[in-house]
Amino acid sequence: MIGRRPTHRIIDVHAHLGPYSLFYIPDPDAATMVAVMDLTGTAVTVLSANRAIQQDAHLGNSQSLAAVDAHPGRIAAYAVINPWQDPERELERLAADERFVGIKVHPSLHRYPVTGARYAAVWEFAESTGCPVLSHSEHQSAYDAPAMFQTVAERYPGAAVMLGHAGITPAGVAEAIEAASRYESLWLEVCGSQMTGPMISAMVEQVGSGRVLFGSDFPFIDQRMSLGRVVCAPLTESQRQDVLSGNARKLFRWRPLPGERGVDDE
Amino acid sequence: MSDAVTCGWFDARVVTGAHPASLQPATDRDAVAAHLDRFELSGALVSAMASWLHDPIGGNAEASALAHSLADRGVLACWSAVPATPGELDSLTELVERAVDEGVAAFRIHPASHGFAPGLLDELYAALQANRLPLCIDAAEITWPELTAIATRYPELPIVISNLGYRKLRELWAALDGHTNIYVDLVDFAAHQGVEWLAANDLADRLLFATGFGLRDPGESVVRLAWSGLDDATVRLVGADTASRLFSGGRS
Repeated sequence: MIGRRPTHRIIDVHAHLGPYSLFYIPDPDAATMVAVMDLTGTAVTVLSANRAIQQDAHLGNSQSLAAVDAHPGRIAAYAVINPWQDPERELERLAADERFVGIKVHPSLHRYPVTGARYAAVWEFAESTGCPVLSHSEHQSAYDAPAMFQTVAERYPGAAVMLGHAGITPAGVAEAIEAASRYESLWLEVCGSQMTGPMISAMVEQVGSGRVLFGSDFPFIDQRMSLGRVVCAPLTESQRQDVLSGNARKLFRWRPLPGERGVDDE
Repeated sequence: MSDAVTCGWFDARVVTGAHPASLQPATDRDAVAAHLDRFELSGALVSAMASWLHDPIGGNAEASALAHSLADRGVLACWSAVPATPGELDSLTELVERAVDEGVAAFRIHPASHGFAPGLLDELYAALQANRLPLCIDAAEITWPELTAIATRYPELPIVISNLGYRKLRELWAALDGHTNIYVDLVDFAAHQGVEWLAANDLADRLLFATGFGLRDPGESVVRLAWSGLDDATVRLVGADTASRLFSGGRS
């Protein structure tokens, strides 16, 4: 039985913030997100504002920082780097502001291939600093199909890259698993509308539980959808805890995430 | 909050049979029984994958066979319908009569997948309304104007929308606000705080717990409701009470 109270310590490495034009999101503000986190046992969420990925990286990144300031210890921020919107300026901002703990890129939305030269500064920065990068990945996309990340890993083996959604579709997940199996710098993040517990289990079996990360995409999608798949997935409890938070603690070492706060501390 | 309130839910959407392009466990009788055990469910409404993806009318026998074998576990059958077409189906009225005789609790239609206009099923809607059997339909199978037209013409026919996704709250609101006979289940009801938003707008009684087991990961809906921001009474309403009211069966 699933009770009403969470039993795991959770870190959500794939989240957003704020409204999105294509559809209505009820209460997409940081305070509501933290309230949801309290219900789900989520200690820390790493987010990028929807405004940053959808329309204006600079303004959106400022919204992410405001959320960090409003909820210190619970929210951390990615700096969105849009290859068309002065990426060098945002990388300089990221380097100077310790509230940013990683980089978010969205090649599909920004219509530019993840292997393109305009992203080179991102990978160079990640490789030289250890800053983790979360990228959207989508099966058969001309911009961020999972196999394309093999090229990134080949060129920049020291850049830790999270394949957001792990390719999204069942076939995309298979491709993402293949890429991550070949390159240890590639990590798999599990949120996506077509994801299932057995697919997450396949990631763990084939890549190892040490490079699979929990993310939810909330408030784009409700956090509990992705969380339910992991909580109920056919994993050992050790593997489940790796996915839900242990691996995030390992990956985010450049600027460590806020301290261990979770259901055990309440 | 009480953990006891997460027991006894009724799963308003289970699909039995294989899916050709999905990494999902089998959903045969034993799998459905294990699903009921795992989440301590009081029952489920089961339709057949074959009715959706192979033989719309012939597949109904698979739903009924499973429902009969798990009748003591509260499992009910949901049949599919297509327009009356010589050689395939003689009469929708007779199909509903036969379903009622067999204890079927609801019908599901797939207009987009099965290639017909929903307006061709007026005979079905009338028969379902007369027999107090709900109509279930995936959001992707029908347009919102088509859906609301049915709801308007048959105001006593409960219509349960499933597989809403996370991008449809604007349309859903217009449909729910204007039609008291439209409901939505929790299969892929994925909008952030969507459940809490409906409850805050006094529409919790239009929500039904359902997992889509066979099509989707049941953990989604289970955790979505169990760890929701709803109070215990509302969790029980969504988890079981509304389904109990809707799926009480024809001629009851």
